[in-house]
Amino acid sequence: MLVVLKAKLKDILNTLAEEYKVLVPAKIEDTSKFISYKDNVDIILDENVKLSPKDVFFPQTEKMYKMKTVKTSMELENITDEAGKKLLFGVRSCDMKSLDCFDQVFLTKGYIDEFYKNKRDSVVTIALSCSQPMQTCFCSAMGVDSQKAVGADVQAYDLGDKIGLEAISDEGSKVIELIKGQLTEEGAEVPQPGEFYLKVDADGVSEKLNGMFESPIWDDVSKKCLNCGACTYVCPTCHCFDISQEVRGENVTKYRCWDSCMFGEYTQMAGGHNPRPTKKERVRNRFMHKLNYFPDRYNMLLCTGCGRCINVCPVNLDITSVIKQIKEAE
Amino acid sequence: MVDLTLEIRKTAKELLEKGEAKVVLGWEKGNFPYSTTPVFIDKPEDTERLIWDEYCINNLALYMLDYKHLDGKVGIFVKGCDSRGINRLVQDKQLDREKVILIGLSCPGMKDEKKAKELGPNADIPMAQKCQDCRYPDPVVYDVFLGEKQNKKVPEKIDTSDVEEMETKSPDEKYRFFTTNYEKCLRCYACRNVCPACNCKECIFDQTATGWLAKANNVSNNMFFALTRAMHVGGRCIECGECERVCSVNIPIMLLNKKIIKDINFLFGDYDAGLETEERLPLGGYDYTDPEEFM
Amino acid sequence: MCENCSCGNDHNHDHDHDQNVLIPQRGKIINIVEETSDTKTFSISTIDDKKPFDPQPGQLGMLSLGNVGEAIFSVTNKGENHIEMAIKAVGELTNALHEVEVGQEVGIRGAYGNGFPLDFCKGKDLLFIGGGIGLAPVRSLIMHCIRNRDDYGKLTVIYGARSKADLCFKEDLFENWPKVPNMDVFVTIDREEEGWDGHVGFVPSYVEELALKPQVTVVCGPPIMIKFTLPGLQKMGYADTDIITTLEMRMKCGVGKCGRCNIGSKYVCLDGPVFTLAEMKDLPQEY
Repeated sequence: MLVVLKAKLKDILNTLAEEYKVLVPAKIEDTSKFISYKDNVDIILDENVKLSPKDVFFPQTEKMYKMKTVKTSMELENITDEAGKKLLFGVRSCDMKSLDCFDQVFLTKGYIDEFYKNKRDSVVTIALSCSQPMQTCFCSAMGVDSQKAVGADVQAYDLGDKIGLEAISDEGSKVIELIKGQLTEEGAEVPQPGEFYLKVDADGVSEKLNGMFESPIWDDVSKKCLNCGACTYVCPTCHCFDISQEVRGENVTKYRCWDSCMFGEYTQMAGGHNPRPTKKERVRNRFMHKLNYFPDRYNMLLCTGCGRCINVCPVNLDITSVIKQIKEAE
Repeated sequence: MVDLTLEIRKTAKELLEKGEAKVVLGWEKGNFPYSTTPVFIDKPEDTERLIWDEYCINNLALYMLDYKHLDGKVGIFVKGCDSRGINRLVQDKQLDREKVILIGLSCPGMKDEKKAKELGPNADIPMAQKCQDCRYPDPVVYDVFLGEKQNKKVPEKIDTSDVEEMETKSPDEKYRFFTTNYEKCLRCYACRNVCPACNCKECIFDQTATGWLAKANNVSNNMFFALTRAMHVGGRCIECGECERVCSVNIPIMLLNKKIIKDINFLFGDYDAGLETEERLPLGGYDYTDPEEFM
Repeated sequence: MCENCSCGNDHNHDHDHDQNVLIPQRGKIINIVEETSDTKTFSISTIDDKKPFDPQPGQLGMLSLGNVGEAIFSVTNKGENHIEMAIKAVGELTNALHEVEVGQEVGIRGAYGNGFPLDFCKGKDLLFIGGGIGLAPVRSLIMHCIRNRDDYGKLTVIYGARSKADLCFKEDLFENWPKVPNMDVFVTIDREEEGWDGHVGFVPSYVEELALKPQVTVVCGPPIMIKFTLPGLQKMGYADTDIITTLEMRMKCGVGKCGRCNIGSKYVCLDGPVFTLAEMKDLPQEY
């Protein structure tokens, strides 16, 4: 396997930065997320970032197009995406899997979301295996292999003080080609991942939920929920959005932004009717969407076991407990 | 920490068995040694789920809003901050004091869940910031009290040294500080939704059609949200620190709240919100003697 | 499967795969008809006088006013170079739309949704039941049947509104449709009113009273009307697969991405808005 010392990682990133806009997982302002690589960024390799990389593909607020409205006329103007290839280094398997989910949503079922597609097409990914899961991790229970990501261009392995690199796609081979001179060939063993703290058994949970829309567990599960959007905003798979506009006199900028099914206004109709009026319906929709509706529609779970929602929930409403409750329900 | 778990369970069980309370709110253990989660017990046999340990940090008061229309009483365990939250809701006419049975618990100060997560199982976990700043660990109002009051020696006045430090900074430095922090705000509204002072039936920020605040996430919208909220809870903030504790991107939200508390104390006299329910709020009316130099 | 492209959609549509689906075309309002005090029908063309898209009956379109917003409406009819939408003033955008005049430029995109199952309806006697603005989605199918009169059996419309003033599409109801061969129109209003010598009563009871037995019924209206009409229809012996209706949810994208219009695992914008009662029974009761 081609390897590099972790201490020399920045050399490689510097080389790649000549070709790509490189994004790395880093500590920043008392949180962590993927940011543009610079020599002085505080890269973190020992745990996943607190904010998922979804905003690289699906920004929290994304300008879509502009309109100029003068009296009765309205002219449309496209907004072009920033050009150039991006390279996302150090994406964990859970977050790579979330891109798989996003691809289903944004690229299938008859309509292609061009805003997403443009970004997706311009990003090359180097996935990084996890040697030690964080306490809130449960990816394996969601069918994600923490050592081998889906859809990565390059798979990187955490080998202790070194990182091993393996090209997966053609695009990945190009990346390896660029840095080949800085890598050495070594017979490296991919280490076994550490134990998961959370024991989760999600087998059959999707099927079980088929008959559980009216189950009393939703009353129970939702009671403590505050209906904030923290879980949905840190979730790498939550993809729901709103479309709105910023009006500055004649100039209107249409944008889309993350929205959350936890908010009452999300399904509030103009006439006043709200099909999901209380937290019970909203919490039920969130978990049903992740564990039943999405599998029904796209044949995969909409949860990758990254554990971020568990990490941020103000009241510790833990999806793994919900899964357990579902499985134990009569 | 005195283990009152058994007493808590016994008290809750009695309230439910005697029919004095329809439901009892407390804490149960979460999936981690350092986590607890609010629990709503309505059957005597479920009282075994209740616990009392150094991670019972959630302020339960705001859940009373969900039981406004319950036919019957709610039992709720209250630490100092929870009890001030209850007063907050009563004073704001959001809660009928007669409908709650407050079971007081003296709080030794809860541990920092985030730090516990980071430092691992064997580390010495520091007290949560909100508890370090707490001046009322004993409940200020209760119907029943379990265990003993600590009458812990606490500072008489709110510690605003961090506010004072910020005040010494230049406008540019302040601007940088706040924009950096509010740039990362996700506007998940966890701070608002966890706050016992944020009890409006419909929040201004949910009225998206009105255009008060656009949904677009940017620093100016985010700061508009944060400042409006801080002003709105001005004089009503009970300093429970829940907003800051739950922030998923670690924004020092209490700094703003404390700045407003400090100013209110200076302009209208020392005031600690949520200690009682009768007195007029400092920003809830005006007196001829009110300072008006700023007008 | 969509025959127009290989998009994998389970119905036909004519979207252009090079066009960004979330960006509207520049359209303009070429005619406005005041249906009632709070409902107007808008005719919309593109800026160069073309039909913005070619909707199937029952399909939806996204209409926007630049500085107000965008919302989804059912297309009530189409012409050579325009589409029509009947819009009730209930919210911010719809109120603003009611203020505009002919010539106003708008954003328009579509067509979205499945539309009515035309093949299934072909050759059959059809009963259309509508209440208030609920006639809007059904009208597109009625107009289609009239345009292709020979393909369908007997057409019957039962329509009701709160009062005479609240009846939409009056010209169709009283002038045009009664003249169509083998077509009956029954109109009712909720309460007695001066100058009204027609039927008085709610739609559900009128349907039961008339006890007509066409093969397929299409019912659209406020949820309360649908709720009370369905049991009657079932009593009359309609199979669940022969009762067709449309559902409404809040929508933003119209193309099954933004998430909010789901009922269970179905997206109303994509898999609906047309559902048979049999399909609805498979959905969770959350609409």
